[in-house]
This record gives sequence, C-alpha cells and structure tokens, in this order.
Amino acid sequence: MKKKLKVLMIDDHPMIIEGYKNTLLGENQKEYQIKIDIASNCDDAYAEIVKSSESTPFDMLFIDIKLPPSKDGTITSGEDLAKHAKELLPKAKIIILTMHREDHRIHNILKNINPAGFLIKSDLTSSELLLAFNNIVKGKAYYSATVNDHFRKMMTNKFSLDEKNLKILYHLSRGVKTKNLPNYVSLSLSAIEKRKNQIKEMFSIAKADDQMLLEEARKRGFI
Amino acid sequence: MVSRLFTKLMSFYFFIISIGCVQKEEVIENDKLKSDLIDSYILESRDKNSSEEQRKENLEKAYTIYSTLEDNSFKINKIHEISIEYYNLKDFENYRDLNEKALKLSAQIYDSLNTARSHFFLGLYYRKSNLDKAFKNFHEADKIYSSLDLHKYDPKEYAIDHGKVLVDLSQILRRAKDYSESEATTIKAIKKFESVGDSQYLPLCYTNLGILAKYLERYEEAVEYHLKAIEYTKGTNDEISQTLASYNNIGTVYKTQKKYDKAKDYYNKALAYTDFLSKNPRRHARLIDNLGYVNFLSKDLTNIPDLFYKALKIRDSIRDKYGIATNTMHLAEYYKSLQKDSIARMYAERSRDVSLELQNNEELLDTYLLLSEISDSDTGLRYANKYIALNDSLIKEERLFKDKFARIKFETEEIVEKNQQISKENEILIIAILGLTALFLLGYIIFRQQQSNKELLFAQSQQESNEEIYRLLLNQQIKLEEGRQMEQQRMSEELHDGVLGRLFGVRLSLDGINQRANDGFTEARNKYIDELKAIEKEIRLISHDLGAETLPSDVAYIDAVENLIGDLCEAHKISFEFNNDEGIDWESVDDQKKVNLFRILQESMQNIFKHASADLIKINFEYADGNINLTILDDGVGFNSTKVKRGIGLKNITSRVNQMNGQVQFINDVDTGGTMVSVSVPAKANVTELY
Repeated sequence: MKKKLKVLMIDDHPMIIEGYKNTLLGENQKEYQIKIDIASNCDDAYAEIVKSSESTPFDMLFIDIKLPPSKDGTITSGEDLAKHAKELLPKAKIIILTMHREDHRIHNILKNINPAGFLIKSDLTSSELLLAFNNIVKGKAYYSATVNDHFRKMMTNKFSLDEKNLKILYHLSRGVKTKNLPNYVSLSLSAIEKRKNQIKEMFSIAKADDQMLLEEARKRGFI
Repeated sequence: MVSRLFTKLMSFYFFIISIGCVQKEEVIENDKLKSDLIDSYILESRDKNSSEEQRKENLEKAYTIYSTLEDNSFKINKIHEISIEYYNLKDFENYRDLNEKALKLSAQIYDSLNTARSHFFLGLYYRKSNLDKAFKNFHEADKIYSSLDLHKYDPKEYAIDHGKVLVDLSQILRRAKDYSESEATTIKAIKKFESVGDSQYLPLCYTNLGILAKYLERYEEAVEYHLKAIEYTKGTNDEISQTLASYNNIGTVYKTQKKYDKAKDYYNKALAYTDFLSKNPRRHARLIDNLGYVNFLSKDLTNIPDLFYKALKIRDSIRDKYGIATNTMHLAEYYKSLQKDSIARMYAERSRDVSLELQNNEELLDTYLLLSEISDSDTGLRYANKYIALNDSLIKEERLFKDKFARIKFETEEIVEKNQQISKENEILIIAILGLTALFLLGYIIFRQQQSNKELLFAQSQQESNEEIYRLLLNQQIKLEEGRQMEQQRMSEELHDGVLGRLFGVRLSLDGINQRANDGFTEARNKYIDELKAIEKEIRLISHDLGAETLPSDVAYIDAVENLIGDLCEAHKISFEFNNDEGIDWESVDDQKKVNLFRILQESMQNIFKHASADLIKINFEYADGNINLTILDDGVGFNSTKVKRGIGLKNITSRVNQMNGQVQFINDVDTGGTMVSVSVPAKANVTELY
C-alpha cells in the first residue's frame, strides 16, 4: 500500500507547478501516492490551507516567496503564507522554493519560518528536488547548497549580523545611499548610521568609508 | 569784456612763450643781438656828422632787422623808434608807412598802448596836410587812452602821451574854430600833465588857452593864461623863447582890445631881448611889424612906415612868406590911410599874391576887402565879389570841418558800440557753446552710464538664464534617468519573476521527464538542461544588474560633472582622476551652489589647460563637517602668485566662492610643482544665521 501524501503547491507560474509535478509524479509514484492541490495566489492558497486544516490537512506545502498578494492585503508573500500554515497546519512540512538567493532573505526566512526544506530555484534540478522531497518526507530537513553556504558563513563568523544589518549591507552594496536606506529598511536614518558604525566596529574598520565597509563585508561573506 | 579776456589770454600766452624761451637760450641770444643791432643803427642814424643818405641807410638796415623779430610789443617799440628818426630826417613818407605797420601789428597782438601811440604818430603826420585824418587819428588815440583798464596799466605810464594827444587835438579843434571844444580838450590835457607833475608841455597848453580866450573875447583871462605860460618856463631853457612868444601874444590881445599903449609896452618888452632876437630874425620881424601896426592903429606915426619896412626887409631876406603877406597888408593899410591908393594897391596886390600862393585864406580875405575899397569901381566890385565868395567858402569849410569831426566822433563811438555789441554777442555765443558742450557731455555720460547699466543687467540676466538652462537640463536629465530607471526596474522584475520562473518550470519539467525516459538520450538532454540552467543564471544576473538602483538626481549632477571633466580632458589630452564622496547629498544642495561649483571647476580646468601644461588632473569632492570641499590638483608648472592674483579667472572663482560664503585657496605645491585649488563651501544654507 502506497503511502498517501497530500501536497499543496503554491506558485503563480503554472509552468513551475508543471515542473514539480513532472518530477514528483515520475519516479516516486511507486512509493507514495501523491495528491497535489495547487494555488496561484495568496488568497487561493490561504483558502486551501484553511479548508485542509478543517478536514484532511496537507502533509507538505511547496511555497513560492513571490506571490500575488491577497486582496485584503494582509498576506503579501509566501513568507506570510508559511507563517499562517505553520499555525494552521503544525504537522505539515513546509518547503520554500524561491528565486531569491540574497543572504538577508535567506536569513530572514530561516529565522521566521524555519522550513523543512529551503530550495533556491536557480540551483534546483529535478533530481535535487526529488532528493529533497524524499529527505523531507522521512523527516530530514533539506537545504539547497546556497542556503547551506549561508549557514556556513554564519557559523565561521564569530558574530552574526541580524537581519536589519544584513539588509543595510545588501542595499548599500546595490548602490543605495545611506540617506535613502530608510525607504528599504524600516529604521530611521540615525538608527541606520548607528548600525553602520556598529558594523564597522565589528569589522574593526571604525573609520572606514562605505566603500571599505562593503569590501570587508564581501570578504566576510555577508553580501 | 571778451576782448579783455582775449588780452589776458594773450598775455598768458606770451608768458608761456617767455617761459618757453628760457629753455631756448639760443633764441634769446639771437633776439638780444638783433635788438642791440637795431639800437646801434638808430644811434648811428642820429649822428649829425654823417650825411643824410648815410643816416637813412642806417635806418633802413634797422628796419630790415626789425622785420625778422617776433611780433610783440618790443618790436613795435623799435618800429616807433625808427619812425621817429625818419621824422627827424624829414622823411615823412617812411615815417607814415612805419607807423601804419606799427598800428596794424599792435592791433593784431591787442597792444592798446602801442595802438594809441601809432595813432598819435600818424596824427602828427597828417597834422599839416590833412586835418580830417589827423583829427581821426588823434581822436582814436584819445579814445584808447580814455578806455584803458586802470587795473592793468599804471595811468602814469601813459598820461604824458595822452596829454600830448589832447594838446594836438585841441590845436586842430582851434584851427577848425571849435573854440569851446578845444578849450575843454586843453584843460583835459593840463590835468593829465599835472597828474604826473610834468610841466614841460604846460606852457604850450596855457598859450593855447590864452589864444582861445582871446577868440572867445575873454581878454583878461587870455592875458592871465599867457603870463601863466611864462611862469611854467621860469628857470628852464625855454624861458626866453616862451616869454617873447607870450609877450607877443599879450600884445595882440591888447591890440584886439584896442588897448594900444599896453600892447606897445609888451611888444617893446619883447623887443628888449636883443640877443635872442638877433638869432631869430623871423620872430624879430614879427615883433617889429606888430609894434608898427599897433603904432599905426594908435595914430602914433613917428616910426611909421620905417618899422614896417624894417620888418619887411628882414622877412624878405629870410623869405618868410606868411610874414611878408601880413607885412605888405599892413603897408597897404598905411598907404590907404594916406590916400595913396596906387601904392596901397601895389602892396595889397603883393599880399594877395603871396596869400594865394600860401593858400592863406584869412589873409587873402583881408586883402580882397582892402583891394575892393582902394580900386576903381569896376575892379573894386570884382574884388568885393571875390571877398564875398571867399568868405562864404570859408564859412562853409568851417562848418564842413565841424560836421566832419562830429561824424568821425560819432563813427568811432558807433564802432565802439558795435564792438561792444559784437563782444556781447560773442559772449553769448561762447556761453551757448560751453553750455551746449556741457549738455552734450552730460548727455553722453548719462548715455554711457545707461549703456553700462544695460550691459550689467544683460550680463546678469544672461547668467540667470544660463543657470535656468542648466537647471532645466539637469531636471531633464533627472527625468530621463528616472524614466530609464523605471523601465529598467520593470524589465528587471519581468525577467526575474516572469521569464526566469517560466524557464525554471520548463527546465524542471524537462528534467523530471528526462529522469523517467530510458531511450539512451538522457545524458544528451541533461546537457541541454544544464545549458538552460546557465541561461537562467545569466538572465538573473542581467535582471540583477538592471534592477540595481542608481540614484537619479545625485548621479545626474555628478554625471554632468564627470562628463564635463571627461570631455575637457579628452579634448586637451590630459588624464584625470575623479572622486566623489558618497556622503554628499547633492539633492539637498541648492542649484545655485551646484552651478557655481560646476563653473569653478570649469574655470580652474581652463586655467590648467592654458597655463599649467599638466599631464594629470585630480578632482575630488569631499564631505566634512557640513562642508563640501572641492580640490583640483594638477602636476603642472605651478603659478606665479603675484602675477596670477590679478587674473580675471581667479577673480571669478573668488567671487563665486564668496557668494556661497565659502573659502578658497590657491596653493602652489612646492614638492610636485603643481597647483592646488581648494574650495570649501557649506553644504546647506546656514539657516541659524537668519534668526
């Protein structure tokens, strides 16, 4: 008797869901009987989650980060959806699949959701997806190499930078001016300046300018 | 007034010339030599031992030298001196010519004194031949002397000359029988002479007054005047001569009064000067004749006609024609009284002939009257008619003279008036011209002022419009940049979320299917799937690059600056380094400041290109303590600080920096030899200053 699995795939691109299906329904059909539901936006996804929590809950959720937000505006991304899912379906395994590979995003998602699987779409191949699927089904977490890299970087530093600091560094590296940072990071300009100085102190380059700060951050793997 | 101004100007002019002459000592030497030469020739001409010819020759030599002299008062004086010598030599033609030249010259150089003197000398020339012209000249001279400026000339300087003119004038007036005018003129002359204490000419004046008083029938006064005339010559060489003349005149006065005894007394008194009379036969004869005539009139016939014959003999011997005319007339009267008409007629006819010869009309009149009485009725009637005709013509002539003199006087007055009017007109003209000139100048100045104001305003508005254009360009660039940015963002998102997602989906599907297929091509397909993955990566990179934010406005300014630097350096083949501190918030810096910094940069770079011959320019924008510091450094030859400080380029930079309340330094880098321009301006307008 094949083990039954109920999976919800959330992505606004039907082509991607097609890809997931093609991967999972090929080889694994022998071991698991997978029932796949799909949602292409936050509203549909949330409705499915709520519905399943009242009847048969999903065993697994494939969640894309970038999604059309809900109409009432309370759910704006896959991240929000994941939070709701964790509450409503505590037993479900959450797999985040995203195009974004920026450190602060990864950091954020790991911290807020701590998903069972974290896959970066650009790294992903069919076999890796299968591998991840199999691992997760068996209760093992699976992270993409990029995510693991991030972990490694975090570990090798004696200190860690919080999400806001990473965001600051990230935006700076994109060429955003310090004075415009409040638009990207929800902090006041003076707070941002303070944090920048703290980062510089941590990097022991107290009097460096932004250029040197970014160089150092790159060297240390924060960007 | 104007003529006075002119004389002043002229004298000033001469003053300048005389100063000029000090520098040209040769000229002075030359002039001195000439005047000495003239003086020596004049002196030689006075030498009575040499012949008349020689003396005239000397004067001619003096005359040729004078003509080379410069036209001034000194030259005129010399001409006068020469003319006087000609007068002494009785060469009256040359005398007249020279004085006419002198008159012309003095009029040219506005020398009033010499003009008057020339008129006087000319008057002397015409005194005998042409009464009108003589009167005219004397009158002219009198006019000038009377109108001389007392402030400029010392009246004593010309009082004697004026007096002499007046004496001559009075004598002419007397001859024209204008006795009262003549008397007044003589009195004026006396006053002139007395004002300078000169008594040389007073006897002449008083004699004249005496004669005039006799004509005016104030006989006692006349005698007094003649006695006074003697008084003034007491103790001088002329005493005897004057005494004789005055005694003779007094005798004539008494004779006219019919006081024959007194007349006889004075004639006898005069005749007592035998020594003097022996040397002056003319006067001797006159006295004898006069005495005889008085005796005859008083019916004292003891010495008659011996006295007449005695006088006539002397006069015949010296050919005193005037005397002969009178003398023969007396004899005729005497013989008429003796009823010896034929002898009387003989003497009367002789007197008539002589008088006709001399054109002595008064004597002629008497002879005609006498002849009409002593001739037979026909001839007598003829003589009577002649007498009447002559008398009429004489009266007419007299009247004519008076008229002429009056006219001359009037004319000169008119000319003076005209001159005054002309000078007044000239004055008005000069004032008008000066006024117009001043007005024109004023207008011109105002015009120029307005012009320069306009230029200034124009330059100002030009600058404003320049800045406006720059602002618009900047805004345009910002807008463009924003549009571009938005488009890039859109494309970036599209690529990332749309294209990339779908590509991923396709790849995953292919991969999944490939895993299941077992047709021996799995490896080949895997290769293409990897290739798809690579494409994805590339697209993501492109998307990332497109999405990277560049800050429009800031970047626009710095872009413009960097473009400028790049373009200029490329054109002049100089390499450059440009640094912009990211701490500078260009968006909050006002446009004025941006424009100024931009221009300063432009100006500095122009200086470097023109003067520094540098290979590298380093330009740096730096933010420190609220100030924007701009440094422009080159590796050229540096500059000479004293020389360059005056340059307009640096002045422009300094004024722009001052406008922004900033500071500027031009530093000559001794080590590298280059120049550094360092500008520091506050990034934000200092608001606190306002409160």
